Amino acid sequence: MIHKKISGIQKKYLSYTLALFILALFLSSIGVWAYVRNNMTRVIVDKYGFMNEKLGISLDSLYQKSDEVTAECIMDNDVQKSLRAEELQDVQRNALSKYFAYIDLNHVSEYCYVDNKKHVYTKSYSKITYEDFENSKFATMLSEKYSKTEWFWTKDTLFHTGEEALFVGRYVRSMDYSHKPGMIFLKMDQQFLENLFGKNENHTIDAAVGIVDKNGNFCLERYPQGFLINDTVRKKIVSLTQSEDFGVILKGYQTAGGILQVYRQQESGMLVFTLVPNTILYKELNQILLVLVGIYFLVILVTVVTSLYISKIFTEPIQKLSAAMENFDGKDFNHKIELHTNTELDNIGHSYNEMLNNIEQLLIEIKNQEKELRTSELNMLINQINPHFLYNTLDTIYMLARINGEETTMKMIQALSKYLRLSLSKGHEIVTVADELENVKSYMEIQQIRNDDLFCYEINCNVNAKERWVLKLILQPLVENAIKYGFCDISEGGLIRIDVQEQAQKLTFMIYNSGTPMQQEIADKLNRLAKVPVADMKQFFPDKQHGYGVINIITRLRLKYGEEVKYEYEIHKNGTTCIIQLPENGVENDEL
Amino acid sequence: MSYKKITVFLLTAVFFLGLSGCTGTENHNPRNPKEEISIPMILTVDPSTGRKNEEHVVKAFNQAYAGTYQVDVEWIMETEEEYRKNLKRLNVTDQLPSVITDLRTLPSFYQMMVEENRMEDLSPYIQNDKEWKDSIETAVLEACSEPDGSIYLAPLSTAAFSCSGVFWNKHLFQEAGISEFPQTWEEFWNCCEKLQSHGVTPLALHTEGTAWSPMQFATAELADSKEGSAFMKKLFPDSYHNPHGLQLAETLKKLFQYTSDDALHADFDVAYTNFISGKAAMIANGYWMIDQIPEDFITQVHFSPFPGNKLISSPETFGWAVISDYKKEIKEGAIEFLKFRTKYNKNEKELFLNKKIPGINQLLTDYIDAYNSEPQIVPNYQVKWNSLLQEQTLGEYIPKLVNGEITTEEFTLMEDESIRQFQKESR
Repeated sequence: MIHKKISGIQKKYLSYTLALFILALFLSSIGVWAYVRNNMTRVIVDKYGFMNEKLGISLDSLYQKSDEVTAECIMDNDVQKSLRAEELQDVQRNALSKYFAYIDLNHVSEYCYVDNKKHVYTKSYSKITYEDFENSKFATMLSEKYSKTEWFWTKDTLFHTGEEALFVGRYVRSMDYSHKPGMIFLKMDQQFLENLFGKNENHTIDAAVGIVDKNGNFCLERYPQGFLINDTVRKKIVSLTQSEDFGVILKGYQTAGGILQVYRQQESGMLVFTLVPNTILYKELNQILLVLVGIYFLVILVTVVTSLYISKIFTEPIQKLSAAMENFDGKDFNHKIELHTNTELDNIGHSYNEMLNNIEQLLIEIKNQEKELRTSELNMLINQINPHFLYNTLDTIYMLARINGEETTMKMIQALSKYLRLSLSKGHEIVTVADELENVKSYMEIQQIRNDDLFCYEINCNVNAKERWVLKLILQPLVENAIKYGFCDISEGGLIRIDVQEQAQKLTFMIYNSGTPMQQEIADKLNRLAKVPVADMKQFFPDKQHGYGVINIITRLRLKYGEEVKYEYEIHKNGTTCIIQLPENGVENDEL
Repeated sequence: MSYKKITVFLLTAVFFLGLSGCTGTENHNPRNPKEEISIPMILTVDPSTGRKNEEHVVKAFNQAYAGTYQVDVEWIMETEEEYRKNLKRLNVTDQLPSVITDLRTLPSFYQMMVEENRMEDLSPYIQNDKEWKDSIETAVLEACSEPDGSIYLAPLSTAAFSCSGVFWNKHLFQEAGISEFPQTWEEFWNCCEKLQSHGVTPLALHTEGTAWSPMQFATAELADSKEGSAFMKKLFPDSYHNPHGLQLAETLKKLFQYTSDDALHADFDVAYTNFISGKAAMIANGYWMIDQIPEDFITQVHFSPFPGNKLISSPETFGWAVISDYKKEIKEGAIEFLKFRTKYNKNEKELFLNKKIPGINQLLTDYIDAYNSEPQIVPNYQVKWNSLLQEQTLGEYIPKLVNGEITTEEFTLMEDESIRQFQKESR
């Protein structure tokens, strides 16, 4: 199944890409389709417009020919004589009747010339009298124009055929005198106009063509097989008969039936139209559209494949990352990720690997700390199990020393007993300042006994020591360090002074020793301890022989009071002071 | 508006944009109001010289009215006679240009054009345009006006350019020992005799095309008497079978004694060719011929009034008409052109009479001197006599008269027959 093989990101990428691409193709296909359609329309309009214009020009030529021929008739000497005051003789009239039969115009089926003396000149068999001419109303067919050749499509009432036909009519005027004009009418057979369209039969033409006279009568129409012009198009064509323009008066006009071109013959007012059915346009368009769809399908296919390939470059490392994270059980830190994509993904992989290393180290540290904690707790438990035995034993030793009068031993046992009692504190971590001071005092007394006159001590407590609380056993290691390192260069006269006071509502301990001042380098190092992460503090003293006690104190203080606890050393000319300032005043005891 | 709606809107807009461009164009072909209006006209190119008649005034107008009007001339190479026949053909086929010339030399045709309202009555334009009216000499305006006050022929400013006299060849005269043009008709005939005796053909004549050259000599000779002069002023004389008609016939007969053999049945161009080729010593014609004479020949030619100090002139023959069938804007342009022509002619006249025209030559000086010599103006028979006489009778019967086939009396009877025919047709 494809959807299972591809990742979520890839799936989304693919779906968005496809959506965008399909949208782009859709829009471009509209553009291409519109462009092609316009171009196709233009090509068709040009092609059939040219054809229609050609037909129109042919109609112009036909008109010009009829104009020239009738002009020749007008200027003929005998015709001119027929207009003069003097009557023509019968022989002349007969000759004139025959003259019109030989005019240079094809497809004249009948002719009728009426002079200004009511003489009618026709083909010999026509037998049309002047009364017939008057009754035909053909005299009214000619407009007010002086002597223009006029074409009109009308019912043949002159030659009595009753059929509709094209007639060419013209006034015949005298060249020299102001006489009443004569009139000439030529009846044209259907072939006269049909010749315009050549020899094409209906079924071979692909566009509808036709001729409409100035009154909107459709004189001639030819349609492709199965195609008819609807009423809307007919109305449109008929409306154009009112136009005063001539030549190409309509080109590429889109109607419901197709694309319409119309040419208006200037003098006769007749229209030649060509209607290109929409099927011709769509036939071409459909082929183009089919090719377009094929190309688009191919493009989409290529796009999908390419997208899958390209997206794989990114999704594969992401999948690797995702799998590594999903499968990480918290134990195996050796499962590192190797990414070589030359993208930001490589950084993510590298960061992941570093994160694993950090987690591993932290875990080791936590384990060590837990181990130490457990050991410490075990020791405490062991110590808690035996306090009575220890105290009883110390009491027995104290009694024996008293019996033997050994004052110093008695004093030392008494101090040790106090120290141990306070150190254990029944397992409590927080003790009163009084107990802490009692504890450190006991320790200092034991050390005084051990080191004779090495030092003396002072304790100045300016707070209510029984109502202030502090983490236990923070002073003893400091005093121990003072004796061990501060007084290492003297054998007597040392001073340890412990001041407890409240500064800015913060409980502050200052442990001063008058021994050799601490080296500045060590003091700076110790002062920086308060600012480094707890996990990194041990790295300050990698040999584990120095600073262990101080690190222990700071760690405990920071774990208990947070990062706000202050711990620093001040070096004096004649000694060193360690200052511990709790972030609170020590009034409350959260362990109680 | 949500993204979906915007997207749908954009897609729809693109879709319909794509559909656009399928609508065709309908050519209403509206006339741009600033489009230059073309004024169709026909003018002749002289067949012998190739010179385009009246080209200067057309060029000046087209330059002055560039962008507004343009006189679009169809230049045709044909004689005046051919041109006049062509006018008739163009009229019956309804193809006349908007401005036509030489109409007044065809009296019946002109009359027909008036009766059938084929020409625009210019009197409202001239009468209401003081500048135009004032630029026309009174006599010229009167000559161009119909009895009812209508004016169909836009006149020239002056009659100064419409006079005819005799062009004569100085060298041929000198060959015969004649130094000056004859002042009287007696001297004229003597001159002809003398020229002929020296082997020089005295007169360039012809019989077709209203027999223009011989008829000018004959009518000028007829007008030498008071009665004859009165006869020439008569419009459509009732008869020629009278002493004046007989005198005219006699003169014609006599004139043809002093011409070339090819004069009979020939058109004016034959006579003209004979003159400019130095085969004949004299030809009667008007001012307009000065421009047509070849440059290498013009120095040999002088111009003089007919004997008895007579010039033939009918300024209306130089009037041009506007055909009324044309659209209003074209007719307005044509009328503007005719007005321009009058003004142009007025400027020409002032330069001309002061002899300040560029390239003035002896021939022009002769003409100006003749015009300024207070000559007797004899009306042009072409505007006074019926067209049948001019276009048929003269051409048909002068050769017979000259050849002695008919007498002078019979000639006048033929002339009278033309009057009857004309009256019949004009009824």
